[in-house]
Amino acid sequence: MRYRVNHPQVINEMIDGEAIIINLVSGSYYTLDSLGGEVWELLEKSPSVDDIVTQLSFRYDASDDVIRSAVENLLEQLSREQLIAPDDISGAASSLPSGSRSAQLLPFRAPRLEKFTDMQDLILLDPVHEVDSRGWPHASADAYSN
Amino acid sequence: MQQISAPFAGVRELAASYWNATELGPVDTHCVRIGGHVIELRFGTPGLVKCIMPAFAHLRIGPGLASELVVDIWDSASTGACPPPIFDVDRDAPAGAFYFFEDESMRGVFQPGMRALSAVDFATDHAWYFVEDPAALPYWERAAPIRQILHWWMGSRGHQQVHSGAVGTPDGGVLLVGKGGSGKSTSALVSLNSELRYAGDDYTMVSLSPEPTVHSLYSSGKVHAENLTRLPHLVPALSNAGELATEKGVVFVDQHFPDRMIEGFPLRAIVMPTITGRTRTRVRSASRAAALAALAPSTVFQLHTAGSKALEYMARLVRDVPAYVLELGANVSDTPPVLLELLDDLKGAAS
Repeated sequence: MRYRVNHPQVINEMIDGEAIIINLVSGSYYTLDSLGGEVWELLEKSPSVDDIVTQLSFRYDASDDVIRSAVENLLEQLSREQLIAPDDISGAASSLPSGSRSAQLLPFRAPRLEKFTDMQDLILLDPVHEVDSRGWPHASADAYSN
Repeated sequence: MQQISAPFAGVRELAASYWNATELGPVDTHCVRIGGHVIELRFGTPGLVKCIMPAFAHLRIGPGLASELVVDIWDSASTGACPPPIFDVDRDAPAGAFYFFEDESMRGVFQPGMRALSAVDFATDHAWYFVEDPAALPYWERAAPIRQILHWWMGSRGHQQVHSGAVGTPDGGVLLVGKGGSGKSTSALVSLNSELRYAGDDYTMVSLSPEPTVHSLYSSGKVHAENLTRLPHLVPALSNAGELATEKGVVFVDQHFPDRMIEGFPLRAIVMPTITGRTRTRVRSASRAAALAALAPSTVFQLHTAGSKALEYMARLVRDVPAYVLELGANVSDTPPVLLELLDDLKGAAS
């Protein structure tokens, strides 16, 4: 299975390697630490779990099993928060560049997703509604003749 | 938040309703300059002038400069003028509910909680702001009027409205960012007793080039009644002293501290106030990611259609200046000297 970021209901920015992610529908927002940010950047390329594990194994000093467990755990959290979704369109081929294991491997630490819900009240108090397909209502011209 | 594509056929009706109101009395025109842009506010009914202009008093300019945006402002209650067509929506909707629409050149929102309609035509740089009854305008709208119109139109001119306070000097200043209750407004309003000058406590405008710059939008400040004991200088200035059981206190700074307002300044830092319970007030460095997380979500959720482009804009802003946590101590009056010292340090580091 491949994954994709759940645009457009999810918007995000990377800054100094960390990700700021906003779910416009739920009102929740999130931060991902630097390793989580790496995974998030990979997710923009519709990877499979294997793709992500391979890419991280090039850079981090941990077994594939340890990396896989951490990645699957993160993807499960991201899916539960509707920040990512299965990608049914991209096909089976990896769009990630091939690479090789770095000589200087970095210590591996499970990526951390932090969730903030303090904006949810705003969504409830200030809900946004769609205008229906009839569009903006018309008033008759007679209404303005006085 | 949703971007809606819906046919908009309301320009004729909006203009007709406005001109219908103006047939019943003279138009009262006021010009303001925000971020270098001249905006003409044409009041078709006099009752709304005192609801809206106090917030812009520090930005008023005389006639003579060509305006880049015209905003027609009127109501129906004081004149009996025929209102523009508005949605038949639930009158019991939450006070902040938004009915949002846009098409190729128009964007608008109807807020049933206060029966207010805002619309901008980007093709003609013309906007309309209609309310049924000025008396029904809530205090927060009087403190930050025509916010959606300014957000949309100034955005089309390369600016970004943000949810933040701002204080500084002509040499430079800080954005005060964070969620409600973080001490943002208190930190901004306590600065009225200092060398720092005030650019706002809740909504400000920023621009990126030629350098990150803050532009004041409103002269208002809002304060919880329980915080007035810590900000006693605001008590004589409250515009709604009799309503504090149900409203935040609103101060129009320009009316009572006219030399403390500032139209804008170069942005030197993003500061995140946080209440610590400690004695001492101090600043410490923070990550830019933390600053973006403090600035962006509340801006995105409060300003409709502020989506991925606004987030990208704010990320560019945050990348350009350092970020700090302002750890608020027991004495709020310690805040201005700490911010002034920070600005001095940043100025020294830059020179």
